[in-house]
Amino acid sequence: MVFNSLHFVWFFLVVYGAYRLLPHRGQNWLLLIASYYFYAAWDWRFLGLLIGSTLVDYTCALAIARATSPRRRRVLLLVSISFNLTLLGFFKYFNFFADNLHTIFGALGWQVDFVTAHVLLPVGISFYTFVTMSYVIDVYRRDTPPTRDLLEFAVFVAFFPHLVAGPILRASTLLAQIAAPRTIRRQQIQDGAWLIAWGYFQKVFVADNLAALANSVFDPAASPTGINILLGVYAFAFQIYGDFAGYSNIARGTSKWMGIELIDNFRFPYLVRTPQEFWRHWHISLSTWLRDYLYIPLGGNRGSEWQTRRNLFITMVLGGLWHGAAWTFVLWGIYQGLLLIAYRAAASTTSIGRILRSQAAGARVLTWAVMFHLTCYGWLIFRARSAEHIGALSGRLVTDFAVGSIDVHGLLVPLLLYTTPLIVVHACEAWFDDLLAVRRLPIGVRYSIYAATFYLTMLFGNFGGAEFIYFQF
Amino acid sequence: MSAARRARRLLAFAIILAAQFWIFEAALRTWGSSEAALSFQGLFEGDPQIGYRLKPHARTRFVTSEFAADIAINGMGLRDDEEIGPKPPGERRIVLLGDSLVLSVQVPFAQTFGELLEKRLNARGGARYRVINAGVQGYGPIEEQLFFRRIVASVQADIVIPVIFVGNDAEEAVGSKGKLTMTEGAAPSAESSSLRTQLRRLVRRSMVLQILRLRAVSATERFTTTVAPPEPPLQSYAADPAPRIAEGLSIARTSIEDIMRTASANGAHTAVVLMPARFQVDDPDYQRLKAAVAASGGELVRDAATERFDRALASLPVPRLDLLPALRRALPGPDLFYQETVHLTPRGHAVVAEALDAFLAREIERDRAPSLQR
Repeated sequence: MVFNSLHFVWFFLVVYGAYRLLPHRGQNWLLLIASYYFYAAWDWRFLGLLIGSTLVDYTCALAIARATSPRRRRVLLLVSISFNLTLLGFFKYFNFFADNLHTIFGALGWQVDFVTAHVLLPVGISFYTFVTMSYVIDVYRRDTPPTRDLLEFAVFVAFFPHLVAGPILRASTLLAQIAAPRTIRRQQIQDGAWLIAWGYFQKVFVADNLAALANSVFDPAASPTGINILLGVYAFAFQIYGDFAGYSNIARGTSKWMGIELIDNFRFPYLVRTPQEFWRHWHISLSTWLRDYLYIPLGGNRGSEWQTRRNLFITMVLGGLWHGAAWTFVLWGIYQGLLLIAYRAAASTTSIGRILRSQAAGARVLTWAVMFHLTCYGWLIFRARSAEHIGALSGRLVTDFAVGSIDVHGLLVPLLLYTTPLIVVHACEAWFDDLLAVRRLPIGVRYSIYAATFYLTMLFGNFGGAEFIYFQF
Repeated sequence: MSAARRARRLLAFAIILAAQFWIFEAALRTWGSSEAALSFQGLFEGDPQIGYRLKPHARTRFVTSEFAADIAINGMGLRDDEEIGPKPPGERRIVLLGDSLVLSVQVPFAQTFGELLEKRLNARGGARYRVINAGVQGYGPIEEQLFFRRIVASVQADIVIPVIFVGNDAEEAVGSKGKLTMTEGAAPSAESSSLRTQLRRLVRRSMVLQILRLRAVSATERFTTTVAPPEPPLQSYAADPAPRIAEGLSIARTSIEDIMRTASANGAHTAVVLMPARFQVDDPDYQRLKAAVAASGGELVRDAATERFDRALASLPVPRLDLLPALRRALPGPDLFYQETVHLTPRGHAVVAEALDAFLAREIERDRAPSLQR
C-alpha cells in the first residue's frame, strides 16, 4: 500500500475515524493492528520478520536494563545487533555478496559452487532494523529507559507513517509520544493538512512527472548528449528529492493528525554550500543515525586527521551500501566519503576556506553552484545502472557537451515546469528557515499557494501510483 | 475564530480559487494539446439525432508530442480543404465512412489514406476520382448509418466504403442502438431541461473541469474495481465474449445493410473495409495486452474481432477488404501506428491506401462484370 494510492486514502480515513473515538490504550491497539495491516498489504509473509525483530529487541533491551554485569550487557547488545544485521545481511545482501564472490573466484580460475537463492527484499527492512537497533543501543548506553509495555514498543517499531521509508525515529522522539496520552491540537490538524497536500504535490506533480525525463536519459539504450545528460541528472535530483521528501511530509502530516510529531527529514538540501551541510539537511534521520551509531563509535573526529578521514570514509561507504546491494551505491558512498574528506582538506586551506565561510553574495552563489553540481554528479552515480554506465555518462558529459543539442521541448521545458513551483516554495521555506513557512505567510499569499498546489496536482499530477524510490532501500 | 471571520476567509479562498481557475483555463486553452483542448473540441457541434458531428467550416491545428496537423472542415461537415459541390461529368466519387481512423486528425489531410488513394486512382488515367473523407471521431456503425443517410448520401457517390474498426465497433453499435429510434428534435428539448445535461455542457466547455472530471472518474473506477472486479477488457477479442458482442455484430450488419440500400437507391456500390487494432499488428503491444487481459481473468485472441466481423458480414452481398494482411506484410519497418494515440502514422496511411487501391482495382474490373452491389 503506497501513500499515493486510493487504497491508502480509504485505509487512513477509516483508521483515523476510529482513532478519534478511542481512548489512549485503544488508539495504540488500533495503531498496531493498522500498521501490521499496512505492512501485510505488501506481503503478509514478511510480517513475521517485523514481529520477530520487535520481540527480540524488546526482550534484549529489558534484559540489558536488568543486567548488572557489563559483560552480560555487552553480550545481550551483541545478540540484538547480530540478529538485526543477520536479518539485514541475509534479506538485503545475500545475493549481492554471493554473486560477487562467485565472480571473484571465477576470475581467479576457482570453480566454487555457491549457494544462491532468489531472496526477496522485505519492504522497509533497512528502516525498521535501524529503528530497533538504535533503541537497544540507547538502552545499553543508558540514554533511554527501556519500555516494559510490549504494545507501546510494537507500535513504536511498526507505526505505519514511518514504517517503510522513515524517518528513522529514536525512542526519545516517538516512544515517549506513544506512551503518553495524546491531544490533537487545531494547529496540528492545519499544519498536517498542508504537509499532506504538499507531500502529495511533491510526489505526483514533481517526482512522478520528472521520472519520465530522468528515465529517458538514464536508459542504457539511449545515447543523450552531455547537455541532455545534465538536464536528466537535474531531473533525477528533483525527482528523488520530491519523492522522498514528499513521503516524509505525508508521514509527518498524517502523524500530526494523530497528535504525534515526527522529526524533519529534509531541510532544503539543495541550498547548502558544503558536503558537511548537505548531510545535515538530506535524509537527516539516516545521517544522524550513522553519526551516532557508526561514525562516533569508530572514533569520530577525536583522533588524528587521518583517523577522522578514515572514519568518515567508512561511514559514508556503509551509508551508501545501506541504500542497496549494488556497486553503484557503494561507489556513491565512496564519492560522498571523498567529498567530505576533500571538503575538510579544502576548508582548512586559507583561500578556499575563506570563500566557503564568506557571506558575500558572489561567494555564496559560487559555493552553492559548485555544491549543487557535486551533489548532482553524486546522483548520476546513484542512478546509473553500472560502473560502465557511470563511465559512459561521465564521458559524454565531458566530451559531447554541445549546447546546441539541448532537447528544449523534451527535457528543458518540462524540467522547468515541474521544478519551478517546488523551488519557489523551497526558497520561501529556506528564507524563513521553517519547513512550515507557507503556513505563516499572509493569508492572500498562503491561499494562493494552496490553490496553485491543488490545481497543479490535480491537473498535471501523475496518478499512476508509482512506488516511492526509498521503498526499495 | 468567529463565524464572520471564518466566512470572510472562505470567501477569500473561493475568490483565489476562481481566479486561478481562469488562469489555468487560459493556459490550457493556449498551450493545451490533448483532445480535451477547446481548439480540438471546437471541431464538433451537437446533432439532435447522431449526438454530434464535425462543425461546418471549423479549423484548428492539432499538436501533440507525436504529431502536428492542420484540420479543416468543409461546409458539409467533412474533413476536406475544399467544398464537395455538384459532381462534374466524368467524375467518380468514393465515400469513406468511419471513425477517427478514417478522419485521421494525426496526419495532414494530404497524407490521409483517402487522399493517397485518390492520387493513386487518378494517376492511372481514365476517369477522374474524388475520395471523400466522411470519418468522424468516435462514430460507430449506427452513427455512420445515420450520418450517411442524412448528410453524405447527397454527394452522389459511386462507391460507398464503411470502414469498420473491428476493435470497438460491435460494442459501440450496442451503445448507440437507441439513436435509431430517436426522433429528430425531441431529444434536445428533453435533454436541455435536465440539470445533468447543463452540467455536462459546462464541464465540456472547460478544460480544467474536463481534467478534474477525468480524475474523479478514474478514482471512482479504481474504487469500484476494488469492490467488484470488472469484466476483462477488449471483449471484442475475448475467447468467450460477453453476449453484447454478438448483439453488436448483428446491429453493425444491419447498419451496413442500411447503408448499402441507401447507396444503391442513389446508384452507388458498397464495399466494406475491416480496420484492425494496433496490437493485431504490433507484437510487443499484443504481448502487453494479452498479459493485462490474462491478469484480469480473460483470454485475448488476437484476430478474434476481425474474424467475427468477417463472419457477421459474410451474408451481405458486398465485397470486403481486411486490411490486416496488408499491414502485417508491411512489417518489419517503421511504425504503422503511433505509440500513444494508436492511430495510423503517415506510413500506415500509405500502406492502407495501397491495399485499398489494389482492392478497388480488382473490384472495379469486376464491376464491369459487375459485382459491386448496386
